[in-house]
Amino acid sequence: MKIEKKLILSNIINGAFIILIGFFAFQNLNLVLTKLRFVQIADDLNASFLEMRILDKNYFLYRDKNALPAIQEKIGNAMNTIQGVQEDIIRAIGKTDLRKLETLLNQYSDIVLEAQAGSPTDTQLEARLRSAGKALREYSASITHLERQRVNSIILESKRILILSFWVILVAALFLGHFISQKIVRSLREIEKLARSISAGNFNRIDGFRSRDELGSVITAINSMSEELSNREEQIIQSKKLASLGILTAGVAHEITNPLNNISMIAQTYEEMYDHLPDRQRRELIGKVDAETERIRKIVKNLLDFSKPKDANPKEADINTVVQKTLTLVQNMIDVQNIETVVRLEEGLPRLFIDEHQVQQVLVNLVTNAVQAMSAGGKLFISSRAGKGGNSVEITVKDTGKGIQPEFLPHIFDPFFSTKGEGGTGLGLSVSYGIIKNHRGDIRVESKPGVGTTFTVELPISKNHKDL
Amino acid sequence: MAQSRIMVIDDEKIVGDMAKMSLEQEGYAVETFLSAEPALKRLEEERFDVVVTDYKMKGIDGMEVLRTVRSRHPGTQVIMITAFANLDAAIEALRRDVHDFFPKPVKIKELKASIKRALEK
Repeated sequence: MKIEKKLILSNIINGAFIILIGFFAFQNLNLVLTKLRFVQIADDLNASFLEMRILDKNYFLYRDKNALPAIQEKIGNAMNTIQGVQEDIIRAIGKTDLRKLETLLNQYSDIVLEAQAGSPTDTQLEARLRSAGKALREYSASITHLERQRVNSIILESKRILILSFWVILVAALFLGHFISQKIVRSLREIEKLARSISAGNFNRIDGFRSRDELGSVITAINSMSEELSNREEQIIQSKKLASLGILTAGVAHEITNPLNNISMIAQTYEEMYDHLPDRQRRELIGKVDAETERIRKIVKNLLDFSKPKDANPKEADINTVVQKTLTLVQNMIDVQNIETVVRLEEGLPRLFIDEHQVQQVLVNLVTNAVQAMSAGGKLFISSRAGKGGNSVEITVKDTGKGIQPEFLPHIFDPFFSTKGEGGTGLGLSVSYGIIKNHRGDIRVESKPGVGTTFTVELPISKNHKDL
Repeated sequence: MAQSRIMVIDDEKIVGDMAKMSLEQEGYAVETFLSAEPALKRLEEERFDVVVTDYKMKGIDGMEVLRTVRSRHPGTQVIMITAFANLDAAIEALRRDVHDFFPKPVKIKELKASIKRALEK
């Protein structure tokens, strides 16, 4: 379910709950009001009954002739009051109490009528009237008391329910808030992790995260972007390779010139001195031509190998051989810049499981950068050695060039970041980074402006790179 | 007339070998070197009429050879050959009074003609 829908639904449920509580409280308040109105009436009746009893007492004690008519008037009023009780009050307190009160009042009234016909000295009649009056008053007092108690309990109950609801709503809101923020935060962390790894050149997918909400859609979108980037990266690697090829071609052309010159000079000498040459020397010269041709063939093959687009093809390889092959491609570029090369390759290094051409491309990129950083000449150190811990092999390319400004260092592996102005595509190092990361390796840089830059490529000695 | 002495410096062995064969044919005394250091040392011991040097070499390069020869052995002519035929190098060599400048591949006949002219200077 989408998070938006979940939020709406939970808000609806919370809202409905609050309305329900409010409705319940409203009903209770109404009931309390009605009951209080009844209590008011019952209090009035109570007072009226008290007055009746004082009057009937006066009648028998002081023979007050006016007492009985006054009682009858009060009975009439009380009866009117009882019968005039409104429907909503009757509904609230029930009919039984009122009917009983009415009955008791009627009984009292009947005895009052008897008393009017009889004599104030009739002690039996006096006792009956006094008893009926007492019952009437006690009953009305008990109703009042009972209703007051009920009102109290209703108010207490409402209070309890309101407090309980408060807690329920609070806990529900906290739980919901926590749940949603947890879910959002967790997914955002996943997305953040993925975005970081993508910017580091690893085009992984987020798997095992199947939710059909908005975060699910975002992750699906990022996954497909990651795939797309992965495809693009291959294109970028190839185009970057073609770009370095441009630089290399110039150097390679120069490199071919030397064997070409050798062949040419042998041919000229051979022709010129043909008659004076013994057979042995003729064969020797022809052999040299062949060797020089082989030299050219190797240079051309190296260049062709480098330029061909290839799927990643990891194989067991000797890293020193890869470094040396790379050097034949870049040697002339190095030479024309008046740069001295110092190559130190450790012997007996374990064989690596790598894509030779990709690693070669990385080395070409690093050497090209180093050479471009030493436009005024300098020293280029290329070395290989066993990595710390014995699980890897390290190749360093170090120059004594102008160095990289500290503020640029964190960005040099970013795509399209270049300090070379128009000359750079800003892709060389990011492509190199991607290649080395694909090999589960690491590429590091140290640099001091004016002193030089050292790139260290670390490649692991493990076999079977599944994702190469 | 004394035999003219030619020195050839090139880190490509074949260049020296072929030049030696061809130039000795013309009656020159030829010595070849694979780098500039021993060649310059040899120049201190013996006078050479012409030095044919490669431009790009490990250690001391052809331009340095030209500079040293022009200052220490003014009577010796320098011919430069190079696989890196770039204009800047050629101009610098001319400023430093190079006798001739050949891009590789070198035509031996032209080289011979150039040496002949150098010896007439």
